[in-house]
Amino acid sequence: MASINEQLREQARKLLADKVVDLIIGYRKGSLPLRSTPYLVKTEEEAGSLIFDLTSSNNLAKYLPRVKTENRGSKIGIVCKGCDGRSVVQLIIEGQVKREDIVIIGVPCEGVVDTRKVRKKTGGEEVLRVSLPVLPGSGGREIMVEGRGFKITLDKEEVLCDVCLGCQHPNPPLYDLFIGRPREGSSARDEFKALEEFERLSSDERWRYFEHEASRCIRCYACRDACPLCYCEQCFVDETHPQWFGKGPDSSDTLIFHIVRALHTAGRCVSCGACVRACPVGINLNPLWVRIEKEVKERFGYTAGLSLEVTPPLATYDENDKQEFIL
Amino acid sequence: MSEEIFKLEKDNLEGFLLYLSQKYNLFLPRRVDDQLSFGQMKPGGKPSLDHYFNTDLPPKEVFFPQRETLLSYEGGEVKHSTYKAKPIALFGVRPCDTKGIILLDRVFAEGEYEDPYWKARRTNSLLLTLGCNAPLSTCFCHWFNLGPFNKEGTDIFLTDIGDAYLVEPCSKKGEECLRGTSLLGATGDDRKVAEEIRRKAESSLSERVEISSLKGRLLALWEEDLWEDISQKCLSCAACSYLCPTCHCFDIQEEGSQEKGERIRIWDSCMFKLFTQEAAGTNPRPTPKERLRQRIMHKFSYFLDNLGEFGCVGCGRCIRGCPVNLDIREVIKAVKSFIVESR
Ligand code: SF4
Ligand code: SF4
Ligand code: SF4
Ligand code: SF4
Ligand code: SF4
Repeated sequence: MASINEQLREQARKLLADKVVDLIIGYRKGSLPLRSTPYLVKTEEEAGSLIFDLTSSNNLAKYLPRVKTENRGSKIGIVCKGCDGRSVVQLIIEGQVKREDIVIIGVPCEGVVDTRKVRKKTGGEEVLRVSLPVLPGSGGREIMVEGRGFKITLDKEEVLCDVCLGCQHPNPPLYDLFIGRPREGSSARDEFKALEEFERLSSDERWRYFEHEASRCIRCYACRDACPLCYCEQCFVDETHPQWFGKGPDSSDTLIFHIVRALHTAGRCVSCGACVRACPVGINLNPLWVRIEKEVKERFGYTAGLSLEVTPPLATYDENDKQEFIL
Repeated sequence: MSEEIFKLEKDNLEGFLLYLSQKYNLFLPRRVDDQLSFGQMKPGGKPSLDHYFNTDLPPKEVFFPQRETLLSYEGGEVKHSTYKAKPIALFGVRPCDTKGIILLDRVFAEGEYEDPYWKARRTNSLLLTLGCNAPLSTCFCHWFNLGPFNKEGTDIFLTDIGDAYLVEPCSKKGEECLRGTSLLGATGDDRKVAEEIRRKAESSLSERVEISSLKGRLLALWEEDLWEDISQKCLSCAACSYLCPTCHCFDIQEEGSQEKGERIRIWDSCMFKLFTQEAAGTNPRPTPKERLRQRIMHKFSYFLDNLGEFGCVGCGRCIRGCPVNLDIREVIKAVKSFIVESR
């Protein structure tokens, strides 16, 4: 059987040749080991560089509204793993893109690598070469990483992103064509496992955790800018009239940024983890986001980005909604 | 300059740092939550020099903090802030970053405008640069005629030779500082070891790309589609600028009330849309294309015009930190190889 990359390239070429799409948002090999890079494919030749593997870590749905605006009237193909696909659904529900303008190319996701976890495993040594298990469903779990004077084999579960370890939706919920076979659901995994340890902490300890993370924030906004659901024309942090809060790196201000962003993505966040991976200083506020999604699920029975038919909880009102928190 | 080169046994490093911290406000590489940056030496504190290739955050923040109070006021009384503590010393800066500080001197202290805040911290400061025995694959300082053992701008240059450092004074300040220590001279063998380390490090660097013609190319390509292609994946965040040892844009903000408050300056970045947003609602750099082009033009063209040198030192931080793997080396290569189609 042809590899996932070969199938992906062939299908992409076909879509372009048959004029089903005008361009395709996908990934190609990056300039660093363990990195792929977003790639906008316009020609059949370029389609030959497409890849999908454990390094395809950006959420490509981010680019949809922009690519759409820059290429009016075009039909856009987009390579979607589970969480990219859920983001696309969410963007359609929120009126940011139209279903009929996009062609979703589903890929079966086996998780993406957290390069910080790898850095821990190598004791901070630089990774110069890697070999990844062949996708999909090869059962391959071993990742071999090599650098100056070391060569180690890692089990992929040790270095996947936290969100991937709890992922319930490895396939996009909506697709026009699928590369390979959709993966069996991962119901064996506990969706909120990453949260267990965190929930055991006292509220003081949790606060200290958030404060510590926020105190390291340099306000580069890579997290916001990588998030497919942070598409506001003007983000509240950039408003100057009025300016809602201070612009400096003090944690009293950075915390406001993160808490308000978390509220703005409540019931919309698809737990892709793109924001955490984007952070150049390794800040991990994922527990806050996942905890909110858990709350949304428990209260409203809603999980973001799974269906075009269900109205998101923040876009509706029901008299029977629990309101015991209103004093 | 004296020809003398000293030797500092690693066992005596603590004492040496203690000596420095008596005279200086000492900053050194410190690891917090797996992140390396320059932090103030605490009593009994040690530098994080294991697996130290370069700090994740650039040392510019020591002289140009992300947030700095310019003045404060209370009940009609205004106080101007200036740095008054002991002179600053940086221990273990990499050569590229030393050069970054020298470039910022040109911007903040030697050019048309003088920045009193930069000068207050930088004046009388001491740079102790540590050569790079093991350059990263993302290091490309050699493209700029720098290198892992470049001594330009430093006061004292250190080479890690195993159990000891070779210590070489490179300025008057450096010489004076070392005069107060009881370091012994390095032997010929020590120098040979250091020479071998340098040779090995230099030969491990990736292939060098010739960039002398870059500025001309950039000016000729200003209008080309190339910028659309390059910027397609850029998110317009500020990871690259904030990690860069030479990016130095800032914004001035007022914090507080009418009665009491502060005027501060904070880092800013040309990659942000807000950076060029005009009150009338227009924006001369409306999309990532114009913004990324600005950053590249500044580093490789305007910097040359204004200060006679490239504004990039090849530290590779923006390559390691970019969330979409937009690699500045690839941008340079794309600019070099772009073929202009006749119109
Ligand atoms: S908030 Fe983070 S995890 Fe949630 S959708 Fe945005 S990028 Fe993904
Ligand atoms: S990416 Fe990291 S450092 Fe940048 S704003 Fe977000 S949390 Fe802060
Ligand atoms: S090049 Fe990378 S780090 Fe810089 S603004 Fe673009 S996405 Fe952010
Ligand atoms: S542009 Fe990038 S490589 Fe050059 S000095 Fe700045 S961070 Fe370093
Ligand atoms: S870029 Fe050059 S000077 Fe800077 S850390 Fe790398 S090898 Fe050292």
